[in-house]
Amino acid sequence: MNGMQLFFRLIQISLLSSMQYRANFIAGILGVLFWNVINLGLIGVLVTKFTHLKDWTVWELVFLYSLWILGHSLYGLFFSHTSELENYLIEGSFDQFLLRPASPLIQLLGGELQYNEIANALIGLTGISLAYAQLDLQWNGWKWGFLFVAVISGSIIELGINLLVACSAFWTGRSRGTSFIVNQFYSLVHQYPIDIFGTAFRVIVTGLIPVAFMNYYPALFLLDKMNRNSPGWWLSYMSPLVALLLIGIVAIVWRLALNRYSSSGS
Amino acid sequence: MKLFWSFARQNFHALAAYRFDFLLRASSIIILMYGTRWLWVTLYTQRPGAFGVSLQQMVTYGVLSMAIQNLFYTDPPYYMARQVRTGAIDLDLLKPLDFHFHMLARSTGEMLFRVCVLALPGMLIGYFLFDLQLPANWQAGFFFVVAFLLGYLVSFHLGFLLGLLAFVSIEIHSIDWAFQATARFFSGQLIPLWLFPGVLGFLADILPFRSIFFTPLSIYAGVLQGGAVARAIGFQLLWLAILLSISHWLWRRIQVRIISQGG
Repeated sequence: MNGMQLFFRLIQISLLSSMQYRANFIAGILGVLFWNVINLGLIGVLVTKFTHLKDWTVWELVFLYSLWILGHSLYGLFFSHTSELENYLIEGSFDQFLLRPASPLIQLLGGELQYNEIANALIGLTGISLAYAQLDLQWNGWKWGFLFVAVISGSIIELGINLLVACSAFWTGRSRGTSFIVNQFYSLVHQYPIDIFGTAFRVIVTGLIPVAFMNYYPALFLLDKMNRNSPGWWLSYMSPLVALLLIGIVAIVWRLALNRYSSSGS
Repeated sequence: MKLFWSFARQNFHALAAYRFDFLLRASSIIILMYGTRWLWVTLYTQRPGAFGVSLQQMVTYGVLSMAIQNLFYTDPPYYMARQVRTGAIDLDLLKPLDFHFHMLARSTGEMLFRVCVLALPGMLIGYFLFDLQLPANWQAGFFFVVAFLLGYLVSFHLGFLLGLLAFVSIEIHSIDWAFQATARFFSGQLIPLWLFPGVLGFLADILPFRSIFFTPLSIYAGVLQGGAVARAIGFQLLWLAILLSISHWLWRRIQVRIISQGG
């Protein structure tokens, strides 16, 4: 069995097992829907009062929010349990990944299907469709293609960042605290256009924890808000490259981490 | 009372073992305070009149909200769910003290710990870096503390009721999500309730959630003054009384149910 087949087989097993608990399945999806409605409601309250946020109108903000959540839902659906890595390391159950004749990374990634994320995907698709209609956008084939690429890149970027954070547990023992900080950046970038914040923040979410490539930069291009005179306009096209770069870094760090790994012995 | 403090103290020390974890949490508060401050400054420059309060008050409200945000939602609901799931809840029932009281003591220990390591340092950083103002007079400071404690009790009881659900449904994860989202919205944690339009404003006014963030924060920022402070605190007391009686009644019924199951 090659890596890809193995990954989907693991995912399939996980889906079947979570379908066993039907009430929980439905409650989970409703919970996520509700969470999004509340988040959008908060943005809605702000924008009815102020009509716009800097030069972002309400539907542009909905687009920004939806683009992020769509990329995130793809990530979350397949990979959200990467944060469990620290527990595997502490309990020593990571050893079983090394004993089986398959790549440890594939085994880690294929652990669980987080079906709740289907609700996020629905919210993302609905949000983008509504915003498209309300903003009267007329996209050509290129832009549709770019949207597709941006969503995929977004999910890879989140996977890359979270895997790097999780891998830090190989050195420090715990990664939860770090992921707590990274999550704050996620939630700010997710809900607000980063141009309302100061320069330091924008530098961090562009260069250090490149979350802004999940929604802000591609949205600038997709919503025709790109200003070719400003330095850095080309960042709007960079999401796929950032995603590839992150994959490269993860590959290197993962290899270093495995070489370093010594079991906790429990 | 001695018993209460011994449980509270025990939990305080248990948490102090994870110092590094809390250091990172404290740093994440800084990011949130930074974000909130920029959000309000941006909106204020856009339309100064729309807030109905001064920029200092608005920023103080938002930054303080981020500094104290970790105080209200403590572990007991999850503790209860865990104990029910693993069956260890019978050990809690065997203890010769009221379960409700035990949970309150645990929660309070955790809250006080977070005051020391998260809220107070957060407020200091907010004061030096993010324009968090001191309360305008001693009354505002005093009633902020009173309203905060009442808000904490309201929040604890909402959490306790959530935890009681675990006895019925075992899994409370999804319900907790919905609950947290509602609380975030209607407590004024992120957006002060005076900005809410029409029906939403009305709902926010009658639901218990505004006791949690909105009342203490707006007293501190000086948005509520004089008679309004008394009314807001009266509202907190009213909801506290309601939630306390529901908790008490429900716990009794559930306790009987558990015993009959075990018999």
